[in-house]
Amino acid sequence: MKTPALALEKFRVVICLGPGGVGKTTLSAALAVSGAASGRAVDVLTVDPAPRLLDALGLVGDAAEPRDVPLAGVRRPRSAQANRGRLRALRLDPKRTFDAIVARHAPSQAARDAILENRIYRNISNALAGVADYMAMEKLLELAGDRATDLVVLDTPPAAEALDFLDAPRRLIELLNSRAVTLLSAPAGVLKSGLRVVDLAARAVLAAFDRVTGLNLLGDVQSFVRSFEGMYAGFAERARRADAMLRAEDTAVVVVTTAEAARISQANEFVDALGRAGLRVSAGIVNRVMPPLPDVAELENAKISAALKRKLTRNLSDYAALKRREAASLDSLRAALPAGAQLLVASDLGREPRSLADLMEIAKGLQVRNPAQTDA
Amino acid sequence: MALPRLIFVTGKGGTGKSTVSAALAAALARHGPTTLADIDGRLRAAALVGTIPTGPDSVRVSDSLDALALSARTELEAFIRRIVPISAISRRMLKSRTFGYVTAALPGLEAFLLLERLRIMAGDAALEDRFIVIDAPASGTALELLGVAAGVKGIAPAGTLNRLAGAVESFLTDPDRFGVIVTLAPEPLALREALETASALRDRLGIATVAAIMNRTPQPLFDDADLRALARVGAHARLARRRSREHKFARAALEQLRHAGLETIELPMMFTDTIGAGEVMRLSREIEAELLRR
Repeated sequence: MKTPALALEKFRVVICLGPGGVGKTTLSAALAVSGAASGRAVDVLTVDPAPRLLDALGLVGDAAEPRDVPLAGVRRPRSAQANRGRLRALRLDPKRTFDAIVARHAPSQAARDAILENRIYRNISNALAGVADYMAMEKLLELAGDRATDLVVLDTPPAAEALDFLDAPRRLIELLNSRAVTLLSAPAGVLKSGLRVVDLAARAVLAAFDRVTGLNLLGDVQSFVRSFEGMYAGFAERARRADAMLRAEDTAVVVVTTAEAARISQANEFVDALGRAGLRVSAGIVNRVMPPLPDVAELENAKISAALKRKLTRNLSDYAALKRREAASLDSLRAALPAGAQLLVASDLGREPRSLADLMEIAKGLQVRNPAQTDA
Repeated sequence: MALPRLIFVTGKGGTGKSTVSAALAAALARHGPTTLADIDGRLRAAALVGTIPTGPDSVRVSDSLDALALSARTELEAFIRRIVPISAISRRMLKSRTFGYVTAALPGLEAFLLLERLRIMAGDAALEDRFIVIDAPASGTALELLGVAAGVKGIAPAGTLNRLAGAVESFLTDPDRFGVIVTLAPEPLALREALETASALRDRLGIATVAAIMNRTPQPLFDDADLRALARVGAHARLARRRSREHKFARAALEQLRHAGLETIELPMMFTDTIGAGEVMRLSREIEAELLRR
């Protein structure tokens, strides 16, 4: 019996989180293609896709803004509804997203230029891992704000922990907090009581770095923070909206992983961390699972030599061990998932996805893994 | 086979970096003092040899093997403590904002300080004839990490940091002190990533010692005649072909790796229910035999 996998039509936003290298981008794209094939207007925001996947989505060259992906190669049900479907894809460019936000929200031309030219600002997207996460959220807000779009699928930057993503706005905003500037720029002598020790520490640390590097970091940081004065409230407000969106009823948070023990334990940590942060995980997807194993009974009557039968029996028992290892991984993720969340498996395509048809095949192959299920 | 003092193990995600690091450390520990160090915070390799280090202080695993955990953040904290003239700067004071400013002002500094730590460890190890095995992050992150020294030189054109950056660069390019092992599994994506990583390490970073460990090669079981005879046993034939395909791919991959000038050790697929201490021991024997043979 087949239970329907991840009822996408219930959701307006799907966020794929998970350890690096498990195929998050591929699965995000697959979910998006299948959403579009069912007649919805879908955007997929990818992060660092593999070259073949870029080709499949037509994301060659500049793709920082949504681009239409022709659905010609995708089989769709013949109905007026299905024909309404469209797919747009884009590739996150944290620096350009940040630049665009600065350009849009800076109080004046002079303020805008001051920020864009600041040395700290120019480094920040490369230097701080959280910036890419934060920009993915800003872009998500922008895309989801378009009421003509039915579904936005968000692939997330690789992270060691789920909280890296959720925490990104808070960390960046803390950096931009204009309250800090008064503390940093006050001459040491006039620092009064009531100042937070963290700011004194920042000041002392930056001054020490200035001594060992011969640079003027303290000055750079001061002008960086000062240049964000007046924009800080806007950042805080959008971060609040992004957080509300993550918690909305029609947002699905999906944790993607593969079945290797190391990845599963990381995925379990993601699920726990999301739960602690009050986010509801809708599904766990285990990518690249092994195909079902053949039945040993089939060997009994096969018209082959006894020697070959022995080899096949050995081969079956070898792969059965791997299958048991995989099943233990799936059980462990299931135990970590909250009640009501689905455990889905995506089978190994056996090749790198290179077309929309491949992505569709992955989406169609998504299956719910029920607790008692064994196929060894 | 003359090994560099410090061996940095990287590779595509999911190719068994931690298992290989643990097995390599266990193999080396049978011949002399060895340290297994984690730098990606997952502590997988240490767990496989039966310990969980909590920081940069060595935890003893056996008479000749110990384990420790390094992190870029810890190194940055230690560096700040050295240069900031405030007695006892507390952990609480070094809140995320301070680190945020520092990393934004000096991108790559944290990673650089981690490399500087590896350089010092390799120097100390040479004095006691010790080997160090690093369970490093996946190839992309590892290449970024190993490439930061050049960036630091650019940021600080003179002074202490610049001098340290020069020392780190000569450490990374010294075949006696630093080497990289790239892990892979017998599949196209992992092979491609291993070849690309190896050429980036050599050509872009000038790292002299780069070798490969191809993990998870299934032992051959079927010959071509078997596979022909199997045409009528459906699902079992598919499974037999899968094994045969992986084995053949491994042969071809080995050829390509050698052609690219990469010495490669091949490790068998462990057809077992779990990967634990027993499997790591078996793999370490394989590695040891290969190292002694060369």
